[in-house]
Amino acid sequence: MLTRLLTPLCFVLSSLCALSFNALAKPVPADYQFPLTNAFEATIAGTPSIFRPQLPDDADIKQRDYSLRLRPEREFTLPSNFWPVKTFRYRLAEQSGPAPLIFIIAGTGAHYSSSTMEYLKKLFYGAGFHVAQISSPTAYDFMVGASPYATPGYSPQDARDLYSVMQAIKKQQDNLEVTEWHLTGYSLGGLQAAFVSHLDEQEQAFNFKRVLLINPPVNLYASIKNLSSLVNTQAVDSNDHRTFYELLMDKLTRYFNQKGHFDFNEAVLFDFQNSKQKLSDNQLAMLIGSAFRFASADINFTSDLINRRGIITPAQQKINDGTSLTPFFKRALLCDFDCYIEQQLLPFWKVHFKEQKLALESPTTEDFESLSQASSLYALADYLSTTSKIGVMHNADDIILGTGDLGFLKENFAERLTLYPYGGHLGNLDYRDNGADILEFFHE
Amino acid sequence: MNKTHSLGNYCAASLLLLSLTNFSHAQQVDDDGFKNPLQNLKFNQHAGQHEFERAALDALHISDPLEQWNRRVYHFNYRFDQWVFLPVVKGYTKVTPHFLRKGVSNFFSNLGEIPTLANSLLQLKGHRAMETTARILFNTTFGLAGVWDPATKMGLAKNNEDFGQTLGYYGVPHGPYLMLPLLGPSNVRDTGGLVADYTLDFSVNWLNVAKESERHPEIFALKIVDQRYITKLRYGQLNSPFEYEKIRYVYTKSRELKIAE
Repeated sequence: MLTRLLTPLCFVLSSLCALSFNALAKPVPADYQFPLTNAFEATIAGTPSIFRPQLPDDADIKQRDYSLRLRPEREFTLPSNFWPVKTFRYRLAEQSGPAPLIFIIAGTGAHYSSSTMEYLKKLFYGAGFHVAQISSPTAYDFMVGASPYATPGYSPQDARDLYSVMQAIKKQQDNLEVTEWHLTGYSLGGLQAAFVSHLDEQEQAFNFKRVLLINPPVNLYASIKNLSSLVNTQAVDSNDHRTFYELLMDKLTRYFNQKGHFDFNEAVLFDFQNSKQKLSDNQLAMLIGSAFRFASADINFTSDLINRRGIITPAQQKINDGTSLTPFFKRALLCDFDCYIEQQLLPFWKVHFKEQKLALESPTTEDFESLSQASSLYALADYLSTTSKIGVMHNADDIILGTGDLGFLKENFAERLTLYPYGGHLGNLDYRDNGADILEFFHE
Repeated sequence: MNKTHSLGNYCAASLLLLSLTNFSHAQQVDDDGFKNPLQNLKFNQHAGQHEFERAALDALHISDPLEQWNRRVYHFNYRFDQWVFLPVVKGYTKVTPHFLRKGVSNFFSNLGEIPTLANSLLQLKGHRAMETTARILFNTTFGLAGVWDPATKMGLAKNNEDFGQTLGYYGVPHGPYLMLPLLGPSNVRDTGGLVADYTLDFSVNWLNVAKESERHPEIFALKIVDQRYITKLRYGQLNSPFEYEKIRYVYTKSRELKIAE
């Protein structure tokens, strides 16, 4: 009955969907065969290795990690257990002769050497680029070692921090023969790349030739809301006394028992999702939401401690190598990203960036709206619709998007938008068609 | 041509949507082509349910009475890794070709099968013990004292059993968490197991390596370099101020999984 009712609806919907795909965005070839059509599975598992492009071997890449002393004062003001991140580090892979250089900005909380960054490095290096990998402004190492305010989330300031880092890299690598400058970023790094490019139009330190935004949030705070909501899915039966992680452990135990062999690799991941223990969409969503909450906890704690706000860590607290951080970890975990905005980002933004009217009043909903607007792609609509150097890639089933976001991208990017039917959030980034499309964009 | 393509596209899209309806809910696609994957999730009705908070706080409960000491060792290991271990490993990879490093890893891995065999027997895991015996025999003979690993190519998977797992198998709890100097995360039970396995290695003296290492400490040094070379863990890799807690959780849980299987 239900199916019969839904069938005509489906025809209408699918024709609508086919129509809208062809309407404005650059059409994706009909034979796009990314294998994972479940957005949550794709987000977590990424592309199975047989569908990935050929990449150069690490051993064949001339690369090194470099450090920059960007915040020397913190060597004295921060507790000693921050020692590994007091100097800022980035990774550079260089070609043997003159070549274009591409900066890559990592996604929320991610390190310059995270697996997605390493993938993109290999992809671009194989195509003849020098590659500079930069941690996200929301990452622990960037906040401590590079960011003057260490309160990420306001895109114009995050872009300014990134821009300073890029200029410092350019200065440190002045022997490197660079023919032209390019820029890309994924997820939050994609949004920031747009702001950096906009800033560069005024400052002209690089005059980027091409800029590619990969699965960026359109409305930053709508994306955060989506991700935050994922931990409220019904992942555990209400009469089950186990916690979500205990349930996961039980599933893994049962799975490995059946297999009779313990091993963690990519094949196991896909095999697990085909076994009786497979996780439901609600549980996969919970897993993604958890990862975001852990990233938020790091931001919460680090921002609060560097600025000595006393919200997570008491302002007078003495910390050394032996001090347990677990109590602060717990406190930071209880405060989600909304709570970080309310307690740290918004008050900070009011003092530093809002038109200096009534900065002492407590933040209002109106403030939140203007912060949100100024940090999202909307703020750059005029720029994005007129510059031909910026392109965007996105997925129709990306979990960080909300209603209207694709409409915004189509309207402002037109044929500079490549929209894929599947992939979830970045799941198809390492699919070979996507790899080819990314490189083609920079070679055009 | 183009028409057949778009027709195919249309049919495929319709088919896909149809197949989704079999799961009782259709995925609504809006005018922009947005599929809104969150629309079919089931959310908790009560605002006070806080499943994430419950699970995350619970996961932080791991016995760690020596935390102060452990954290200092963690920082010591981190520094030692950056200033000594990793530079040495880097030099090692620079001066040796890949096949040689592989041979070295195989050689020491073959020696490590002895504790695996002993512990498989102790846990009465007959199949695993037989598999391991076959691996030792093939690799030591055809594999030239273990330098080459024909057993894996023959489909005999490598197992890992140690005395810590045997103790766990018989119900010995893991006890307080321990961060061992240079060796990394462990706990009281697994540290005991480590000592037992080391003693076993020495008394079996397979291929005479243990005894020979006494006269030639360079064999022991090579073993350590190889160990660091094959261990993927990098301190700072998680890029989090709470890396200590995260390593503690992952270590404890992965040991539980290994014991259970």
